[in-house]
Amino acid sequence: MSKTITCDVAVLGGGPGGYTAAFRAADLGKQVVLIEKEERIGGVCLNEGCIPSKTLLHAAEVIAEAREAEAYGLKYSAPEINIEKLREKKADIVTKLTGGLAGLAKARKVEILRGFGRFTGKRLLVVEGEGGITSVAFEKAIIAVGSSPMELPFLPKDARIWDSADALALPFIPARLAVLGGGIIGLEMAQVYASLGSKVTIIEMLGQIIPAADADLVRPLAAKLKKTYEAVLTSTKLTGVEAGKHSLKISLEGEKAPASIEADALLVAVGRRPNTADMGFEDIGVKTDGKGFIQVNERMETDVPGIHAVGDAVGNPMLAHKAVHEGKTAAESASGLKSAFTPMSIPSVAYTDPEIAWVGYTEKQAKSEGVSYEKGSFPWGASGRALSADKDYGTTKALFDTGSGRIIGAGIVGARAGDLIAEAALAIEMGADAEDIGGTVHAHPTFAETLAFAAESAAGTITDALPSRKSKIS
Amino acid sequence: MATQEIKVPDLQGLHDVAVVEVYVSPGDTIEVESPLISLESDKAVMDVPSPLSGVITEVKVNEGDTVNTGDLIALAEVEKEDQEVHGSSGNPNSLTEVEETEKNEASSAWAEEDRAEEVRPADTSERPSPSEAPANAQPFGSKYHATPSVRAFARELGVDLSGVTGSGPKGRITREDVAARIKNVMSIAEKSGFGAVPDLFAENPARSIIPGSGTSGFALPPIPTADYASFGDIETEELSRIKKISGPHLHRNWLGIPHVTQFEDADITDLEEFRGTINEENAAAGNRKISPLIFVVKAVVAALKRFGDFNGSLSADGSSIIRKKYYNIGIAVDTSDGLVVPVLKNADQKGIALLAEELSDLSSRAREGKLKIDEMKGGTFSISSLGGIGGTYFTPIVNAPEVAILGLSRSTMKPVWNGSEFVPRLILPLSLSYDHRVIDGAQGARFTAYLAMILADIRRTLL
Repeated sequence: MSKTITCDVAVLGGGPGGYTAAFRAADLGKQVVLIEKEERIGGVCLNEGCIPSKTLLHAAEVIAEAREAEAYGLKYSAPEINIEKLREKKADIVTKLTGGLAGLAKARKVEILRGFGRFTGKRLLVVEGEGGITSVAFEKAIIAVGSSPMELPFLPKDARIWDSADALALPFIPARLAVLGGGIIGLEMAQVYASLGSKVTIIEMLGQIIPAADADLVRPLAAKLKKTYEAVLTSTKLTGVEAGKHSLKISLEGEKAPASIEADALLVAVGRRPNTADMGFEDIGVKTDGKGFIQVNERMETDVPGIHAVGDAVGNPMLAHKAVHEGKTAAESASGLKSAFTPMSIPSVAYTDPEIAWVGYTEKQAKSEGVSYEKGSFPWGASGRALSADKDYGTTKALFDTGSGRIIGAGIVGARAGDLIAEAALAIEMGADAEDIGGTVHAHPTFAETLAFAAESAAGTITDALPSRKSKIS
Repeated sequence: MATQEIKVPDLQGLHDVAVVEVYVSPGDTIEVESPLISLESDKAVMDVPSPLSGVITEVKVNEGDTVNTGDLIALAEVEKEDQEVHGSSGNPNSLTEVEETEKNEASSAWAEEDRAEEVRPADTSERPSPSEAPANAQPFGSKYHATPSVRAFARELGVDLSGVTGSGPKGRITREDVAARIKNVMSIAEKSGFGAVPDLFAENPARSIIPGSGTSGFALPPIPTADYASFGDIETEELSRIKKISGPHLHRNWLGIPHVTQFEDADITDLEEFRGTINEENAAAGNRKISPLIFVVKAVVAALKRFGDFNGSLSADGSSIIRKKYYNIGIAVDTSDGLVVPVLKNADQKGIALLAEELSDLSSRAREGKLKIDEMKGGTFSISSLGGIGGTYFTPIVNAPEVAILGLSRSTMKPVWNGSEFVPRLILPLSLSYDHRVIDGAQGARFTAYLAMILADIRRTLL
C-alpha cells in the first residue's frame, strides 16, 4: 500500500546541501521532509568523502611527523599499524557526526524519509523505500542529489579497481597502488596509502598534478611526491587494465611513462558526475546541461517554479562548502526571502603534504581572462614560524586588481594552507587591498602572517624580505 | 637574431645544487620568467626562471646534474641583440616567481571531468532567467564594492547596488549608503506625487519599473478632493486588498505606456454552431461544456504565432523587443475583491478540453482567493472578457510588461451585407489595446483582422 504525505518543502538528498536546506527551511517555519536513499544522512561528505578522508589523512600526518621528528633529535621507531583500529576510529567519527545531524533534524521536526525519490509531477515526489512507496506532495522542492565517482567503462570489473569510496573503506593495503587522476581526491588517497606503506604511482593525463592550481603552488608538492612515490607520471594516459591473477597490468601512453606498470590495486579518481540521470527531472521540465548539471539561477531556482536545486548536482566546484551555502539560499528563496548565492569566490583545498589551497583568481585564470593584476608572494623559507616547525617548503601569494587595488585571489602551499586561505577569502569578500591586509596586525610568529607579508610585498612595504621589484602583469 | 647564454643565477652561497627537472628543450619558445630548470638544495625546490624571451637552441644541463652559480643552462636565440638581459636579483621571491606555461593539451572526456576542483562557478549562459529583483553579485574589478551583508541588505530592499554611491573607505558601499539611496528616492517620489511608486532603479534603466520608460517622474498637479459630506450623505469603505495592489499597477501602466485601442468585429456564427455541436456531444458524454473564451484563446495563440511582436516585451533599455517562444495567456477574472489575472501556461500545446478544464479550475480558485502567486506569473498576452455582462467596446489597459491585451464584449446578432442581402450573423466585438512603442497602427489592424478571420473559421487554427 502506498501512502501520501504532504509538506511545505521536500528536500531530495541528505548531504551537506540537502540537510542545510532542510534545516534552514525548518528554521524559517516550514514543514520539511528530507528524503535520503542511504541509511544515514550526511551524504558523501560525511560518509565517504571529506570527513573519513581527513581522518585517514590525520593518521598519515602523524606518521610523517613522527618520522620527520628525527631532525629534532626525536627518533621514534616505525609505527605498528592496526588497520582494523584505524577503520573503527574512522567509523566512530562518522557515526558521531551523522548521529549529531540526525539529532539536529529531530530537534527541528524535520521528517527524514528513507528511500529513493523520483519526481512524478511538478508538485509530487514518489519515494521507494523499505517501508513501501510513499508519495510526497510538496509546495516547494529542493533537489540536492549530489554526485558519484566517474567510472571508466573500458576498465574490467575487479575488486582491486577502486573508486574513492572503496579506497576510503581501507579494504587492504596494496603493496603497489596506482592512482589514476592526479587531482585532489587521487592525491589525498595516495597520501593515505603511501603513509600506510603502499608504493604509489600517480597517473595524470595533463602536464601537472592538481591541474586547476597554479604551477608554482603545485611544484613543492610535485617535487616531494617525486621523491617519495614510485612515480608521478604526468602527461600520461591510461590505455587499459588487464586484471591478472596476482596483479593488475596497467598499460600507459606518455612521453616519459613506461609502456605498462604492475599494481596490486588501482584507484580511479578521474572526477565525479552529477546524480541527475533517471530522476524524472526532464519529465517535469527541470533542465540539465550536457554534463547532467541542473540549470539554476543565483536564487537556486530551476526552470520549474517552486523547484530549486543545489550542490554537486548544479555544477562545479563540487565542494561541500559550496553546497551548504547554496542550500541556505535555496531554503530562504523557497520560503519567500530575497536571498541569492553570489559569492565572489569559493576556496579549494588539497589536503596533501604540503597542503595546497587557493581562492578567487589563479594566475592562469587571470591571464587567460586578460585580468591585469599585481602579485605579492612570500616564500616560507623566510618565515620564522615555518622554519622552526621544519615546514619551510611553502609559499603564500596574493593577487591584486591593478585598477582597484583590491585582492582578487590568493594561493598558498604549505602546512595548514587550507586553514590559512580563509583569511584571503574574507579579504576578497570585504574588498580589502594590499594595504588593508598588510596593515592588519598579524601575530608573530605564525603561518598566518605570511599572507600579510605577501600583501606587503605587493605594496612594496615588506621588511621581512627584500621588496620585490614591482612588476605589472597584464 | 642573436644567440644568448642563459646562466644559473646567484645561488646565494649554495654549491653543487642538483637539477631535478629540465622544463625546456631545443626549439621551445620561452618568455621572461618561464621556468627553465628546477633545482633542489637540501630542502627547498626552486625554479630558475628565464631572464629573456626567445627560442631555446641548446640545453646544457640534464636532470641529475649538479650546477653552481654562473654555470651555463642553455643557449637561446633572441629577436634583438640589445634585448635587456636581467639576471635574477638576490630577492628570495625571484626563484619561485614563475610564469605558467601550461600546455593546452587535448583532453579526453575524463580529463575534462576531473576539474571538480575548478574554483569558479560554472558557465551561466543557459541558466534559468533571474527573477526581477536584483541579486547584487559583486563582480571583481567593479567600481564599487559591497560586502556580503550589504549585498543581502540591498537585495532585501530591492536596491540595485550599481546605482548606489559608496561613501565608505576606498569607495565601499555601506549599509547606510543603501538606506540613503532609499530615502533619496522616496523623497523624490513624494515631491513628484508618486509616493506609491518609488523608482529605486532610476540610475539603472535595466531595472526601471516599466521597461524602457526610464523614470516615473511625472510632475502632475494633485487631483483636488472636496468635502463630499457637505453635499449629502456619504459612506467610506476601504478598497479591497486586491484593488489596493492592482491600483498602482494599472495607474503606472496607463501613464507609462502609450496606448492605442483597435476595434474589430468577428463573425462567430459558424464557431458558435460548431461549439453547440461539441457541447451537445460533451453533455451526452458527461463532459464539461466549452465556453467561447477557450476558442478565442486558441485563435489568439494562432494570431500571436503569426504576429510575434504581440507576444513580446520591450527590453529594459527600450532598444529592442524580446519575443517569447511560449504562449502563456492571462485571463482577467472578476472576483468580489477585484480583478485578478491567472495565466493559462503553454496554451499552444494544450487542447480545447484541457484548456477549458484549467480555466475553470483557475477561475473558481481565483474567486475563492486561492490562486498561487506562480499561477499569476509569466503571462505573455492577456484577455479581458466582459461578454457575459454587456457593452459594445471598451479600452483595456495593457498588462505590462506584456505589450497587448484583447478585450471581448457581448456578442450580438447583427445584419451583415453578404453582397446581395443582409443576413443575420453573430458578431463578437473585439477591442485590442497595444503599446504603441512596440506595435504600430497597421500591425494592430492586421492582428485584429487576422484574429477575426480565424474566429470566423476556426479551422484556420489548424493551418
